[in-house]
Amino acid sequence: MLRNEMTTSEKVSGVFKFCRNSARIEGAKLNKYIDKYLSRNFWINALVRAGLYLLLFDLAFIFVYPFLDMIITSFKSTSDLMNITVKWIPNSFDFQNYIVAMEQLQYFKYFKNSVFLTLMCTLGHVLSCSFIAYGFARYRFPFKDALFGFVIFTLIVPIQVIIFPLYIFYSNLEWINTYLPMIVPTFFGYGLKGGLFIFLFRQFFAGLPYQLEEAAKIDGCGPLRTFFTIILPVSKVALLVSIVLSLVWHWNDYFEPNIYIADQNINLLPSRLPALYEMLNTDELLNPELDLIIDEAIVLAGTFLVVLPILIIYSLVQNKFMEGIEHSGLTGQ
Amino acid sequence: MRKKLNMQQKRILEALMFISPWIVGTLIFFINPLIQSIRLSFSKIVKLKGFVMEWAGLANYEKAFLWDVNFIPMFINTVKNTLINTPITLVFSLFIAILINKNIKFRGFFRTIFFLPVLLGTGFVMKQLLGLGFDAGAMSVAKGIMVPESLALYLGPTFTNAIDMFLSVITVVLWKSGVQIVLFLAGLQGISVSLYEAARCDSATEWEMFWKITLPMISPVILLNFIYTIIDSFTDSNNPIVEYIIDASFRKNQFEYGAAMGWVYFLFIFVVCMAVFFIMRKRVYDSGEK
Repeated sequence: MLRNEMTTSEKVSGVFKFCRNSARIEGAKLNKYIDKYLSRNFWINALVRAGLYLLLFDLAFIFVYPFLDMIITSFKSTSDLMNITVKWIPNSFDFQNYIVAMEQLQYFKYFKNSVFLTLMCTLGHVLSCSFIAYGFARYRFPFKDALFGFVIFTLIVPIQVIIFPLYIFYSNLEWINTYLPMIVPTFFGYGLKGGLFIFLFRQFFAGLPYQLEEAAKIDGCGPLRTFFTIILPVSKVALLVSIVLSLVWHWNDYFEPNIYIADQNINLLPSRLPALYEMLNTDELLNPELDLIIDEAIVLAGTFLVVLPILIIYSLVQNKFMEGIEHSGLTGQ
Repeated sequence: MRKKLNMQQKRILEALMFISPWIVGTLIFFINPLIQSIRLSFSKIVKLKGFVMEWAGLANYEKAFLWDVNFIPMFINTVKNTLINTPITLVFSLFIAILINKNIKFRGFFRTIFFLPVLLGTGFVMKQLLGLGFDAGAMSVAKGIMVPESLALYLGPTFTNAIDMFLSVITVVLWKSGVQIVLFLAGLQGISVSLYEAARCDSATEWEMFWKITLPMISPVILLNFIYTIIDSFTDSNNPIVEYIIDASFRKNQFEYGAAMGWVYFLFIFVVCMAVFFIMRKRVYDSGEK
């Protein structure tokens, strides 16, 4: 209604007003933009930024190159493998390599073995190392510093120095060809990089407020109960970090299992990879060069299958894990 | 009796309870094999069954240093590799950590990528991927990044080879610096922002801030990473000398000789770590209370 009552001149002036206003605003904005884009600082900043991203992507590329190469080669079909023009994008995704690798590795059988051993070792590490570390973090006792120095010392000693006496020791206990030589030490703060986990937990516990325990003590809570019901639940960050690291390291470890386990039936996935390579290497086809290329693709497919579970687990927890490492006071600051 | 313990004694008992698993573990899984291995390195196994040993003095050590043609060159080679790789690893991982720590996009993406090698492990997988496989010539899966052919023509073979060498060393080094990057990142996160703000108020440049704030504040992590890198590099089971020791013990049944070589190697690592620790400790920033 109102619109219809407005005269034409009013309408026109209104439009002009609107235009002028918006032009003024635009002009101010434009000036701002001009200031921004003509200033030296902006361009320098932009250049620095661009350079930064370029550098980061380059470095990231160097990091993922072998990994990408593995995935892509493992998906190539025979004709793609032969064709040197096919570098990054295969003409078709071919699962043949994976089928062969899975069969040769007997994937699911050894997968079960690996999962069992890895879970047991991780459980041992997390339980024992947090328990021990609590003693180091929260109590004062004679020779404490010397003993903690010794924890670090155990990390420096290469396993190769003591592996033979350990082997004799385990064979006296008839533990050879079982998982016990790997599992039992983890429950005593030893095993694969055990000292590192003690160190990690100690650093984390040292950063917790003392009021936690004081309150518990006043309410009549004993040390064990304090540890299990108060300290552990608030240490989720440290627990997550050490669980992930322990899982990854145990899953990939093949040095100790290779020494202690000779029985094929209880062998583990990573130790099967060299076996896969050997197996493929023995069959000679008419064309040895082609055979080698195909074998390579199969070994790569097998390799990818072996690391896949770890990649999946990590991708599920990666944000929490990284935050955990960054904020757990791990580096002692 | 229990009632008579004073507060302090009670605390000590509680502490003992907490560290008792570690003490038991140390005695069984560490001290015991360590002593055995020292004894072994000075003896000669007379009968493998029942493990009868005879004192042989320094014979095994003499063999390592005077008779074995492989041990010394391998040893020097490993030391040389560690000497070259450790500073590169430290510099690169600090550099990458600083880059990621800036306020950038895709931060999570980069963090994940730089941590990827840790996930892929240290064993056979790593070996495969970096082309250090059993037969490096025939079975080199991924040699890292090479100089493109077209560029190589311009640069000539000597220069190209040098760059290729450099690139492959970089790839290997980068692939071994996942943990170090994460530790540096944690250290960088721990530096208080107010320090940088104060420096900016005094119109300090990024460059000055790096040398005057970041580096001193992160020096404890540098020490930590330094020692971690040295140990990691020396004890890596892909190391030729480590393989040689294991080979001597478990395949050639020269257990006493393997133990002696192991000890020589370990003592060297220990001395290096201690030297690094004591030289660097005085230069490291100490916040007073740890």
